[in-house]
Amino acid sequence: MATVLDVSPGLLERSEQLEELAVHLNDVVERRAGRVVLVSGEAGIGKTALLRSFCDGAARARILWGACDPVFTPRPLGPLLDVAEASGGELESLVREGAVPHDVALALMRELGDARATVLVLEDVHWADGATLDVLRVVARRLAGTRVLVLASYRDTELGSRHPLRVVLGQLGDTARNRIRLDPLSASAVARLASGHHADADALYRVSGGNPFFVTEALAAGDERIPPTVRDAVMARAARLRPDAQSLLEVVAVVPPQAELWLLESLAGAAFPAINECLDAGMLTRTNGAVGFRHELARLAVEESVAPDRELALHRAALRALQSPPSGHIDLARIAYHAEAAGDASAVVRFATQAAVRAAALGAHREAAAQYERALRFRDVLEPEERADLFDRCAVECYLVDRNAEAIEALEHALAYHRVAGDRLREGATLTRLADYLWCPGRTADADRASHEAIELLETLPPGPELAWAYAVAAQHSAAAALPDDASRWAKRALDLATELGELEICAFAQQTLGSLVPGADGERQMLQSLELARRHGLREQIGRVLAHLSGIAADAPSLEKARVYLDEGGRHCADHGLDLYGFYLRAAEARLELALGNWELATEAADAILRLERASIRPRIDALVVLGLVRARRGDPGVVEVLDEARTLAERTGELWWVGPAASAVAEAAWLAGDTARVAAATETALGLAVSRGSSWFVGQLCDWRRRAGLTDQPPVEPAAPFAALAAGDWRTAAEHWRSVARPYETALALADADEEDALRESLDELNRLGARAAAAIVAQRLRGLGARVPRGPRSTTRDNPAGLTQREVDVLTLLAQGLRNAEIAERLFVSERTVHHHVSSILRKLGVQSRGQAAAHAQRLGI
Amino acid sequence: MPRYLVEREFPEGIAIPPGLPGVEACREIVDTNAAEGVTWVHSYVSEDRRKTFCVYDAETPEAIRKTAARNGLPVEQITQVRVLDPYFYR
Repeated sequence: MATVLDVSPGLLERSEQLEELAVHLNDVVERRAGRVVLVSGEAGIGKTALLRSFCDGAARARILWGACDPVFTPRPLGPLLDVAEASGGELESLVREGAVPHDVALALMRELGDARATVLVLEDVHWADGATLDVLRVVARRLAGTRVLVLASYRDTELGSRHPLRVVLGQLGDTARNRIRLDPLSASAVARLASGHHADADALYRVSGGNPFFVTEALAAGDERIPPTVRDAVMARAARLRPDAQSLLEVVAVVPPQAELWLLESLAGAAFPAINECLDAGMLTRTNGAVGFRHELARLAVEESVAPDRELALHRAALRALQSPPSGHIDLARIAYHAEAAGDASAVVRFATQAAVRAAALGAHREAAAQYERALRFRDVLEPEERADLFDRCAVECYLVDRNAEAIEALEHALAYHRVAGDRLREGATLTRLADYLWCPGRTADADRASHEAIELLETLPPGPELAWAYAVAAQHSAAAALPDDASRWAKRALDLATELGELEICAFAQQTLGSLVPGADGERQMLQSLELARRHGLREQIGRVLAHLSGIAADAPSLEKARVYLDEGGRHCADHGLDLYGFYLRAAEARLELALGNWELATEAADAILRLERASIRPRIDALVVLGLVRARRGDPGVVEVLDEARTLAERTGELWWVGPAASAVAEAAWLAGDTARVAAATETALGLAVSRGSSWFVGQLCDWRRRAGLTDQPPVEPAAPFAALAAGDWRTAAEHWRSVARPYETALALADADEEDALRESLDELNRLGARAAAAIVAQRLRGLGARVPRGPRSTTRDNPAGLTQREVDVLTLLAQGLRNAEIAERLFVSERTVHHHVSSILRKLGVQSRGQAAAHAQRLGI
Repeated sequence: MPRYLVEREFPEGIAIPPGLPGVEACREIVDTNAAEGVTWVHSYVSEDRRKTFCVYDAETPEAIRKTAARNGLPVEQITQVRVLDPYFYR
């Protein structure tokens, strides 16, 4: 007879963490400082125990609890379903019906945000599905000012570098910087737990490593010998139960995450009454009409031990039973899981496909992809058209979670099956999508081929949305390749056909491309029309795309106020709606903007954020590498060559002037700054040829400018753009004026550096020193000495001139802020808009590494401002 | 992790106050560095105290500049280095 064993650790060595949580809750309640606290640690370390203990003691707060499923394809919004069931109301109906994460998040905030303090627990978010992660992102950014404390636990040991949670943790923002990490128990704590048992405390500590779960399982097994692994400990404990009870444990183990009582009764049959023994022995626990193992580790251990024929039978029984649950709510993901384990091909295809469709609708794209892949594993039971359809859908989901190579492979399979089935329309549509996906990692030649094949094919059929889409994609690719005539032709065809067919999304897309081909205010106006159209019809993706595009254009201009507006709005929109791809392009625009404006620290931060993400989209990566390489080269810092070499290699792969040009120009500049003028010619040869063939006066100008500095004289058949032409003609004054008028301090200084007058050279030197452009400053200093002017050799950067890397403007703002002025008052004093002040303050807080104005003011005093 | 040599210039001469304030100042520097994964290994100071050569471990030169700015320390030149030890070649 198994005895009741009270082996709960009573939370040894967790009082510090409990206190920390209490302080957080207090802060949240007293100061309305809502936040996310992340609790991490290895499996079995006691995260759940800690959170339960804390919540039990948090008398004043309402507790809402959700747990993520430990399965590879979890239910989308799973933990939020738990929460919604408890809260009911609007949230419950939204989650059940299947709303997008953004709407669910807002409903959740409404539910959480009443006057009472609320603690929302989300357990095991390393298993969270994509939709839940999206909700968490949106919620985290709206917690300030609320009385909501979100506690999210996860296993930090399970986060590989590309784990979705890792990416999201970096995006949660300021309210989510609080981390509590749980460590294993000490030897003395293990000894305390072991007192009163027969086990050798030292051996127990050694084998368990202080892992609380392992310790309690081993002690509960009651043997003198310490089991060598957690699995052995769990099985030893299970072995003390009667056969009926062990049989019941097996049933529960095979239906993750928990077994509802009705399901258990159906599957366990005569063994069902043994549930009491399992509960009494502490091997199973009860929650809300279901039973489950105390810990996922225990469930896995028991599951592994089930005989294969029994396992198969149980999965088949579960598959049957779950299709008609008493509640009427069908859990598609769960059924699909059992169908695969049961080897029931037609059931898998049916339910996995449905599960995928639902997951995709909820924005859980990783899970959708996994479900389609599951269905495809059983594709032998399907006809060619059905296989093609699944591959098409799978490709879309893979693309959305940046599994670009898998997406392309899936499309190629789809193409093969469309051809077998003789479905030319879908073949054309798939070819268009393939062109799009090939373009992303820079396989431009392949993309062009697919694009043209698609158009040729679709033009033989009656015109429809597929053809309009094919035209639109061709337009975008031509625009990127700096072929405006082709782009314009394709875009107009796309727009005409889409308008005729009433295809709003394609209209918005084509209009945006057309606008981007027209320079200046007219082009911007057209793009804003496209934005207006997208907004009016709720086309979330197109909104993100246009804003990213507008930001990119404004960053090149650079039109400061405009760029900031588009970047802000675009950033918020993309974060709210999980549009990671466009957010990625936005960050690249941000990096380029900050580089142009001379805010090199912000530029490298944005570049670094992009490079760390390792996404398939090659163009933002090229932008980031160019920005990082240039800043390092200009500062005279190490790490230039490898960065710019990669930029150039990647750019050459795309063969597109918008990337080949900047990469080549950067390599040339770095060579000139390093005094290695011989390399400039080779670095710019190909790019110049491409620029000439595209008739680009901008890039011809820029590349010839570097070649001129290296002593080469070109006579390109294309007239260089104004500032470069002026400089080549020796009119450095005009060139400098131009650069000054578009707020580019570095280019201004370089233009002045061509002067033969001391005043201009001194101005150049001052500006270069202010920017920290040591390499160019040395060159200019040399020229000044050549004129016989005195140039002190002392230190060029002092903390007084450049405290904490703040710009002069920021120092002005900080001075006033430290005097207690509010943003509106500062704006008045400095004759700028309040929005501009707000930006400066954000930048100041970031550069000083502080969270509040008060801290910034204190810091200012320390720096002597 | 790469190692860097950071050269700094102090026109008024570097002065670390003796006793507890000095210990505090160093600790603050170390803490600020830690937030960016930057480790100050040690420094060499010239006789006139106007120049220092500081050995650092960091992921990127940008991390060194960021923590230098927060600590109020100037940066003249950053060079990536590797250790070359005469005893290595015995």
